[in-house]
Amino acid sequence: MSFIEFKHIGKKYAGADKNSVSDFNLEINEKEFIAFVGPSGCGKSTTLRMVAGFEEITEGDLYIDGKKVNETAPRDRGIAMVFQNYALYPHMTVEKNIGYGLKNMKMPADQIKKKVDWAIDILGLQEFRYRKPKNLSGGQRQRVALGRAIVKNQKVFLMDEPLSNLDAKLRVSMRTEISRLHREMGATTIYVTHDQVEAMTMADRIVIMKEGVIQQVGKPMELYDHPVNKFVAGFIGSPQMNFFDVTVKGKEVTFKDGNKLTLPEAIINKLNGREGEMTLGIRGEDLKMDAQNLELYKENKMRAVITDTEVMGNENNLYFQFGGCQAVARVSKYEISQVGDEIEFVFMPSKIHFFDKETEVNYL
Amino acid sequence: MLTKKQKTFNWVLAVFLLLLSIFFLFPVIWMLANSFKPDAAITADMNSVAAFIPPALNGNYFENYITILTDTNFLRYMLNTLGYAALLIVLGVIVNGLAGYALAKINFPFRDQWLLIIMMLLIVPTETVITIHFLIIAKAGLLNTVIGYVLPMIVNPFNIFLFRQVFVSLPDDVYEAAQLDFCSPVKYFFTMVLPMSKTVVATVSVFTFLGVWNDYLWPSLVFTSSDLLTAQIGLNSITSNDNTTMGQTLAVITLITIPVIIIYALFSKQIVEGVTSTGSKEG
Repeated sequence: MSFIEFKHIGKKYAGADKNSVSDFNLEINEKEFIAFVGPSGCGKSTTLRMVAGFEEITEGDLYIDGKKVNETAPRDRGIAMVFQNYALYPHMTVEKNIGYGLKNMKMPADQIKKKVDWAIDILGLQEFRYRKPKNLSGGQRQRVALGRAIVKNQKVFLMDEPLSNLDAKLRVSMRTEISRLHREMGATTIYVTHDQVEAMTMADRIVIMKEGVIQQVGKPMELYDHPVNKFVAGFIGSPQMNFFDVTVKGKEVTFKDGNKLTLPEAIINKLNGREGEMTLGIRGEDLKMDAQNLELYKENKMRAVITDTEVMGNENNLYFQFGGCQAVARVSKYEISQVGDEIEFVFMPSKIHFFDKETEVNYL
Repeated sequence: MLTKKQKTFNWVLAVFLLLLSIFFLFPVIWMLANSFKPDAAITADMNSVAAFIPPALNGNYFENYITILTDTNFLRYMLNTLGYAALLIVLGVIVNGLAGYALAKINFPFRDQWLLIIMMLLIVPTETVITIHFLIIAKAGLLNTVIGYVLPMIVNPFNIFLFRQVFVSLPDDVYEAAQLDFCSPVKYFFTMVLPMSKTVVATVSVFTFLGVWNDYLWPSLVFTSSDLLTAQIGLNSITSNDNTTMGQTLAVITLITIPVIIIYALFSKQIVEGVTSTGSKEG
């Protein structure tokens, strides 16, 4: 049974022309870690704040643990939240910040101490126990915010871009820490982020949103391999999927620069007779340059000149002009190319996507 | 990096300002020096530099002060005023703070219009409403009582505005976090908002203290009983008494100035911040 249920949830701010969130339907299972992802202004934080009770739900019903909570006060919803800007109490020490909620719950002092000690221990905050937030680094503050959330043993954890203020290295370590905490605590977690890497690495399922509307819900690899539309395809994955404007006629795909590609039977069948102008999408790692693939798909061999390179350490990103736009190929670190080199590459046929030019829906 | 010319200018300016401040301090130094002297010495020193020099220790150094503190009720008046100030600080912070918080953070109909009205009250001089205050307090039978004195002084539009200006910048997510920590709105105000806004609380407290300490008109209307009088009224009654000597007058003025000087010395930062944060100054 679903633990959190969104039924046709919508949010329209007073005076606004259109909804910030529209017809949001979702069922979240108990102990599930779900990430809401999307660009700024897509409604992910608004949706989270409606779950918390900080934003009024203007349409639909929200259920937590079987109870309708539309009108329930935030404190009575059984939730804990980690905020983007930490929202620590500046005049209280780490210890008092973590224990404040428990104190208000009228928990006996010895139990508060036990719980605070436990949180301080597992978050590695021992030496900062008596410090105030202004004397802590961003990562330490975020850990205090996490501590404040976990001690209360709530059923639902809400996290609103909790790592966005941290530097890249700290983000990676905090990602692991949050995942570990989720495994240990087993609380149902909704995690809002605009960083698709965070969503891919941490979530059991991802909800991708755009302009207040859910675009796709699925496991990380489902979204990566089978995006329902061009927006999802472009949002998930780094570097972004390559998109080419093409014309499909029978088996033949013609790129804007005149290059042609012959499609295998399987894809033609999936296209189900669709022809004409559409968008071809393929991920950088599915543009192959190794000898084996060049030989295997030699009838579709393409050529281009490298215009830019990105050395990532474990792999290289090669940028080139092809099909009337810039494309990127992700190759292994052993496939070294320089700017100006001419390269040969092939499209992995099974990894090609075709999107409708107007609706941007994925045909395959 | 300052150029040599700028450095020289700064030095000249510093010396000029120092001389100017000494010039302004002359009356205070004169008052302080003569408050330790008998009247004969004050008259004798009047036209010489000795008027600015305290007398040498001769055993009667504090005679004027001892007379004021033992033969008059001035100590009682000072303590009364301190008590009123403390009471008004507590009540003022609570009442004006809550009003400022509502205007800053709670959405209610015509909130901005309310703020405008409160700001308009800033331009109304106290003297123009004091008669109305007096009539209300008299009608309520509260003349010559502490409640009657304190009641009209609690609400202060300037302090409400000051609180509002500071509270408006408090982060909303702290309130949201506190809600999830089972903190009620009232508890949030007292345990979060006020401690997070220590500077404005200090500023309002200082302004309230100075206002109460220096107020003459309102207490002179409300109080008739000598037990309840404030220091300013005490000062007036002592200095207008024919038996009070010049030295004693200067001693009582010195005494009444001490708390104000202490407050300015301790809280000058808050006073400056309070004035600059609103871009205005209470008269």
